[in-house]
Amino acid sequence: MKKPVVLILISIFLLPVIVRPAIASEIWLFAIFGLGANLLLGYTGLLSFGQATFFGSAAYVAGWLMKIQGVNAFLALVAGVGVGAASAAVVGYLCVQRSGLYFIMLTFALNQLFYFTAYQWTSVTGGEDGMPGVPRPAISGIDFKDPLVYYAFVSLLFLLSLYLMKRIVDSPLGKILQAIRENEVRAEAVGFNVPRFKLLAFVIGGAFSGLAGVLYAMLFGIVPLEAISFVFSGNVVFATLIGGSGSLYGPVIGSFVFIWLSESMSTVWARWPLLLGVAFVFVVLFLRGGVVEAWHKLSLKFSSGK
Amino acid sequence: MILETKEITKSFGALTAVNAVSLGIEAGSLHSIIGPNGAGKTTLFNLLTGAFAPTSGRIVFDQQDITGTPADRVAHLGLARSYQRTTVFPSFSLFDNVWVASFSTSTRAGLAWRNANAYPEVAEQANKALRDVGLDSKANQLAREISHGEQRQLELAIALAAAPRVLLLDEPAAGLSPEESRRMVSLVRGLKGRYTIVLIEHKMDIIMSVSDRISVMHFGSLIAEGTPGEIQRNPEVRRAYLGGVAA
Repeated sequence: MKKPVVLILISIFLLPVIVRPAIASEIWLFAIFGLGANLLLGYTGLLSFGQATFFGSAAYVAGWLMKIQGVNAFLALVAGVGVGAASAAVVGYLCVQRSGLYFIMLTFALNQLFYFTAYQWTSVTGGEDGMPGVPRPAISGIDFKDPLVYYAFVSLLFLLSLYLMKRIVDSPLGKILQAIRENEVRAEAVGFNVPRFKLLAFVIGGAFSGLAGVLYAMLFGIVPLEAISFVFSGNVVFATLIGGSGSLYGPVIGSFVFIWLSESMSTVWARWPLLLGVAFVFVVLFLRGGVVEAWHKLSLKFSSGK
Repeated sequence: MILETKEITKSFGALTAVNAVSLGIEAGSLHSIIGPNGAGKTTLFNLLTGAFAPTSGRIVFDQQDITGTPADRVAHLGLARSYQRTTVFPSFSLFDNVWVASFSTSTRAGLAWRNANAYPEVAEQANKALRDVGLDSKANQLAREISHGEQRQLELAIALAAAPRVLLLDEPAAGLSPEESRRMVSLVRGLKGRYTIVLIEHKMDIIMSVSDRISVMHFGSLIAEGTPGEIQRNPEVRRAYLGGVAA
C-alpha cells in the first residue's frame, strides 16, 4: 500500500482516541466534501464559491426524508448523492456558460438563491433555526447512535470516496479536466467539448458534496441554515487550499487542519478564525501547494541533509 | 478538393477581417497562405476550425458542409491546427500533452474509470507524434521547462497526435532562430505527402521552397493564387506584399 493510504488508515484508528468521535467524524465527512470541491478547484481550475448549495440541499432533502418520511439511512444517503448531483447539474449548467470572474459570481449568486429559499421556507427547513431532529436510523441492525459506530461508518464511506476519486483523477477524465485547467482553448481545439466536461466535474463534485451533507445532518442531528450558506462554500475552498489543491490528498489534510483547528480553538479563544486567516495568507503568499507542498519540501530537505 | 471555403466572410463590428474568401485545398498538397500582418490569415484559420462561426459563406470539408460546426467537433472530423502563439498544456509532461490530443480522437471507453495508462494504442499514437517532431527523448519533461523552439515542435506534435487528415499550421516557425527555423522547415517538409497541409508563414524562403500552391491575402480578401513561381511574378502581389519591401 502506498504511504498516504497507510497514514490515513493510521489516522482513522488514532483519531477517535485523540478527539471526540463527533469531531473525528466531521473531519472525514468534510474531507469527502473537499474531495468533490477539489475536482473543480484543483483539477479543472474552476473556483466555485457555491459548493454548499449541493451539500446543504442534500442535507435538507435527506434530513426531511429520514425525519418526516422515516426513510432508512441507506436510502437517505442515495437520495443525498442524487440531490447533490442533480443540484450541481442545474447550477453547473448555468455556471459553465461563463468563465473567470463571472463564473465565480454565478456560483456565489446561485448559492445565495438556494440559501434564501431555505431561509424563507421555514415550514420545511426551519429557516434560521435549522431543521432539528434528524435521526440516525439503523442500517440492517447496526445502531448508528453509538458515536464510535457512526464514526466507523463515516470513515468507511470516506475511504470509499477516496478510492472513487482516485480512480477518477487517474482516468482519462482526470487528465482531460487538467488539460482544461491548463489550456481551455487548446483542449477545445483537440476535440473536447469543454463546457460538457466542466459540467461533468460539477456533477461528480456535487455527488460527493451531497454524500458529505447527509453524513453531516446525521452526525449532528440537525441541518443548520449555515450548511447551505456561502460560509460553508468558503470553508471548503479554504480547507482545500490550506491542504493543497494540486493533489488528491490536499483536501483531506486541509479538512484535518481546518476542522481540528476550528473545533479545538473555538472553545479556547473566540477569535480563533484569526488564526485561519493568518494561515490562509501564508499559504497564498508563500506556499501555493499548501501543506502537501510543505511536506514535499521538508522531506526533500530531510533526505538530502542526510 | 478536401477543404473548400465558399465566399466566407467574417466581420467584427465594422471591421471585415475575412472578406468573401473562396479557397480550395487539394488533398495531399501543401497550400500556403501569405499576406501582410492583419490580412486575416489567422482569422481564416479560426473560421476553418470552428473557433468562430463565419458571418456568411460556407465551409466544406470532404464533401460535408461544416459551416458553424463547433471547434471540438471539427477536430473529430480530422482537421487539426497549431497556433501562432504557443498554446500547449504548460504543467503537463510532453507525453501528456500529446496523450490528451490522441485520446480525444480515439476511444472514449472507460472515460472516468479505467486508468489513463491502460490505453496502449493511445500511448503509441502519442509517442509516434513526439517521434515525428523529434521530441521523443524528452517525453517526461514538462512543457513549460523546454525551450521555445522545442515548444514550437510540441505545438506541432499536439496537432499530429489527433491523427488528422488536414493540418492547419499557423506560423510554425514564429520566433525561431535561423537554425531552429531550418529544423522546422525540414519537419514540415517531412510531413508533406502524409497530410494535407495548410500553412501560414511570413518567411518567404520557407514558403517558396515548400509550397505546392500559394494564396495571397490582403486586407481580408484573396488577391492571388498560384504556384510559387506564378506568385513571385504576379504584379499585384508584388505591389501589395513583396512590393512593399522592393519600393
